[in-house]
Amino acid sequence: MTDATDLAERAGDRDPRVGLRAVAALRRLLEQLEAVQVRSARNQGWSWQEIAAQLGVSRQAVHKKYGRQ
Amino acid sequence: MFERFTKGARAVVTGAVTEAERTASPRITDEHMLLALLDSQGTRSAFAFASLGILDRRASVEAGLADARRRGGMTQADTAALAEIGIDVERIVSKVEQTHGEGAMGAGGTAKRGWTSHRKFTPAAKKTLEQSLRVALGRGDKEISDGHILLALTARPGVVSDVLADHGGTYGAVERALFGEPG
Repeated sequence: MTDATDLAERAGDRDPRVGLRAVAALRRLLEQLEAVQVRSARNQGWSWQEIAAQLGVSRQAVHKKYGRQ
Repeated sequence: MFERFTKGARAVVTGAVTEAERTASPRITDEHMLLALLDSQGTRSAFAFASLGILDRRASVEAGLADARRRGGMTQADTAALAEIGIDVERIVSKVEQTHGEGAMGAGGTAKRGWTSHRKFTPAAKKTLEQSLRVALGRGDKEISDGHILLALTARPGVVSDVLADHGGTYGAVERALFGEPG
């Protein structure tokens, strides 16, 4: 049995760990999805400006995160 | 820190680099260190893997790693946590793969730099090496061995510790296999 299942079994629904873990996992999932979409947009010739506008962040932010790849 | 590494520990680091080169991975990750550890022979960690039955299940370990990579590095624990709030990771991965091709989630952002010969360790892999130092210090050991790196891998949350735990390699089990019963 893994520690993760141990934790899940011990933790009731109101245990903050369950909810916090979900949020942390969601953040990781978000990062993955963002990377896929940004890569796809770049491959289709989108500018950093266009990508940033869609993501609702600054051009610099997107470029800093993905630009040097 | 590296001057404290034993020959076995250095072999893990160079083995991880070789593993990353072999698979044309842009960065050296915890996974590569685990695979290098699984390759090592006659070391304390090789003995621990054998006694835990992990050595015989190497194919299953690699499949577990590949599966997590396909999910973009989401661990089983991540997947379970998201299922709790109604998010089906497998469905999302399938959807992404339909549009962007198989393995799109795990593709990473740096595939285009595969031609460069100089590869860096990911921040997570560096943290694992730092953790191995702490593990050694915590045990009062003067040198950092391959066993300390293995223990550090099981101690840090992520895909590698998940997959190891799935194969009976929890922190506690690995610690016992490496160093005997604690204290």
